Amino acid sequence: MQFEWTEEQDSFRHKIREFLHANLPDDWEKFSEHGPASPALTAFARGFCVKLAEAGLLFPHWPQDMGGEGLGPWEQQILSEEMWIAGEPRGGQYMNVNWIGPTLQKYGTAEQKARYLEPITQGESLWCQGFSEPDAGSDLASLRTRAVLTDGHYVINGQKIWTSYAGLADTCFLLTRTSDDRKKGITIVLVPMDTPGITVRQIPSLIGEGDIHEVFFDDVTVPETARFGEEGQAWEIVAYSLRNERLGIPRFVLARAALDRAVAMLQDRGDFAREHVRIEAARCAALCEGAGTANYAVVQKRTEGLTIGAESSSARYATVMAERAVCDFVVEFLPEALAGGSPYLKMHHQRGIVAGIAAGSAEIQLNIIASDVLELPREPR
Amino acid sequence: MQLALNEDQRQVLDFVEALARPFASAPLHDAGLALESAELDAALVENGFLDVLAVEELGPVTAALVVEKLARLPFAVEAAFSALVRPLIDPDLPRPICLLEEGRTCTPVRFLRPGATVVVVGASGVRSFTAREEQIAPAQEDTLYAYPVAFLADMPETMTLHAADPAEITRAWRVAMAAEAAGLLGAALASTVTYVSERKQFGRPLATFQAMRHRLAEAQVLTNCTYWLAMRAAATGEAADAAMALLHAQEAARRVCYDYHQFLGGMGMTLEHPLHLWTYRLKLLTSELGGRGEQGLAAAAALWGE
Repeated sequence: MQFEWTEEQDSFRHKIREFLHANLPDDWEKFSEHGPASPALTAFARGFCVKLAEAGLLFPHWPQDMGGEGLGPWEQQILSEEMWIAGEPRGGQYMNVNWIGPTLQKYGTAEQKARYLEPITQGESLWCQGFSEPDAGSDLASLRTRAVLTDGHYVINGQKIWTSYAGLADTCFLLTRTSDDRKKGITIVLVPMDTPGITVRQIPSLIGEGDIHEVFFDDVTVPETARFGEEGQAWEIVAYSLRNERLGIPRFVLARAALDRAVAMLQDRGDFAREHVRIEAARCAALCEGAGTANYAVVQKRTEGLTIGAESSSARYATVMAERAVCDFVVEFLPEALAGGSPYLKMHHQRGIVAGIAAGSAEIQLNIIASDVLELPREPR
Repeated sequence: MQLALNEDQRQVLDFVEALARPFASAPLHDAGLALESAELDAALVENGFLDVLAVEELGPVTAALVVEKLARLPFAVEAAFSALVRPLIDPDLPRPICLLEEGRTCTPVRFLRPGATVVVVGASGVRSFTAREEQIAPAQEDTLYAYPVAFLADMPETMTLHAADPAEITRAWRVAMAAEAAGLLGAALASTVTYVSERKQFGRPLATFQAMRHRLAEAQVLTNCTYWLAMRAAATGEAADAAMALLHAQEAARRVCYDYHQFLGGMGMTLEHPLHLWTYRLKLLTSELGGRGEQGLAAAAALWGE
C-alpha cells in the first residue's frame, strides 16, 4: 500500500497542466463562471477538445483498439482531476470520454460505433443523457417515455426533465419504455437531437445558464437500428455506465482547490488567525482528503480489473459531504467571494449544488451502501 | 498510488487474525467496563507483531494495519503506541507505552500500571520514565472508558531524555490513534449491523427501516474514510496527513457512538452486549491530544501555515 504517484503519473499530470496553461485564455476563470453546459462554454469546449485530441489528451485512457493509448485508470483519474480543477473546459464532452465512448464500444453495433465514436475522438460531439422524467427521478425505473416499434421504426412519445446539455447536444442517450416490465421493459435509443418532434426548453437553474432542460418527444421517429443493445437491456447497460459516471467527476479535488483558494484569500486580508476558522478549514480539508482516498480505493479496484460495486457509492457520498462542507465554509467566512470577489469560488459554489443530486441522488447512494456494503436486509417494497 | 495490500501485508494480517481468533468474542463481564487479556498481549509480543514497523519490507503501513485489526477485538490491547510510536523513541522501552502531553498529565492514562513506560512529549522534548506503583493513583478500576486507565499521582523528578523530535512523536501518536479509532469504528459498526439485522420489531428486522439504514450508511462512509486517512498518514509520514486522520477519526467517533447504542435500544444500555467495548473506547479517544479542535489547528498549521 503506497500513496505516492509514480514519476510517470507525475509527468502525465504535468503534461496536462502545461497543456491547460497553453490553451486556456487569460480570462478563463471569469469565463468558467458560465455553467458547464452554457452556450459559451460548450462553444469553447468544441475548439478545446479538438486541441486535446491533437495532443493525445482527449481519451488516452481508452484501450489501444479504440484508438486510445491504453493508459490505466490512474491516468484517467489524473486527467479528470486536472480538468475538473480547471473548471472542466471540456464542458459536456467529459461524458463522451468517461462513459459514452466506452459504453458504445462495449454494447454498440458496428454501425453505431462507426457513426458515433469518430466524432467523439475528434472532440466534436456533444451528448445528453435522457434519463429523468417528471415522475421518474430517483425512481428511474418508473419512467414512461414510450418507444413503439412500427414498420422498422421506433416512434417515441414522452418527456424528459433536468437534462443537462440538451440545448446544444447532437445526440441523446435516451431511456424509453418498450414494455410494461419495470426494469426489463426499458430500452436505450440513440436519438439525433435534430430529429423532428423534439422540443427542448431550458430550465432556469442555480448552476448557470443553459445547464438543465425539459425535452419533449412528440412522435419522434428513428429507425430500429437506433436501438442501443437489446430491447429491455437498458438497466444492465446503465448500471455499467453509471458505475463509471459515479467516479467520473472528482469533485473532491475542486473542493480542495477551492478551500485552498479561500484560505489564501483569508490569509491575504489577515483573517485566518481566528482559531475557529482554522479548525473549520482543517475539517473541510480532512473531508476532501477522506473522500479522495475513498475514491482512490475504488480506482485501485479498477486497476485490478475488479468489478466496481457499492463502494463507489460510499466514495461518492464522501465527496458530497466534502463538497458541501467547503461550500458552507466559503459562505460563512468569505461571503463576498460569491458576489464578485472570486470567480473561481463562485464557479465551485454554483456547481456544488449538483453533487448530491445528479447521477443518482445521495439518498440512493445511501440505499446502495446499506444494502450492498453493509448487507442489511432489504426494505420491504 | 497502490492501495491494495501487498503479499507481506496480507500474510501478516492473516497471522494476526489466526492468533486473535480465540479473542474474537467477548465473554460476559461485570467487573467494570474494561476488558483485556494478558494472554493475547503476550502472544502478540512473542510473535513480533508489535515490531513490524522496523522490518524493512513491512514498515508503518503494516504497523497501522495491525493496530487497526487488533482494535477490532473486544479485548483492549496496547498495540498502537508500541507498534507505531515506540520504534521512533527507543524500541526497547518496556511495554505498555503510555503517552502524555507535557502540562496535561492529569488526564486518564490508558494502560498505566507499574512497569509501564510513561512518555511525556512537549516543549522539553521527549522524556520517559518507568511507572512505579506509588506514582499511580489508587482506585483506577471502575471507569467508564472500556480501556484499563489510571491516573498519575506523582511525576518523578528526573526522566530519561530521548533524542526523538517531539513534533515527530506527536505525528506518530496521531497516526497510532487514527489507526486504533479506525478499527474501533469498524468493529462498532459491524456489531451494530449484526444486531439490527437480526432484531425484529413491527414484524421485520430493524435494519429494514430507512431511518436506520441511512444513518448506518453515513457511518460506513465516515468509517471508510477514517481507515483510508489513517493508512495514508502512516504511509506518507506527513504532519498534515496525521492531523487530518485523527481529526476525521474524532469527528466520526462523536458522530456515531450514540447512534449505535440508540439503534440497539434496550440492549444498548446493557453490559450483555459488547458494543460498549468499542464505543466507550472511542469516546476516550475523542479527548486524545486535546480533541478535534487541536487536531484541526495542527492540520491547519501544517497545510497552510499561519
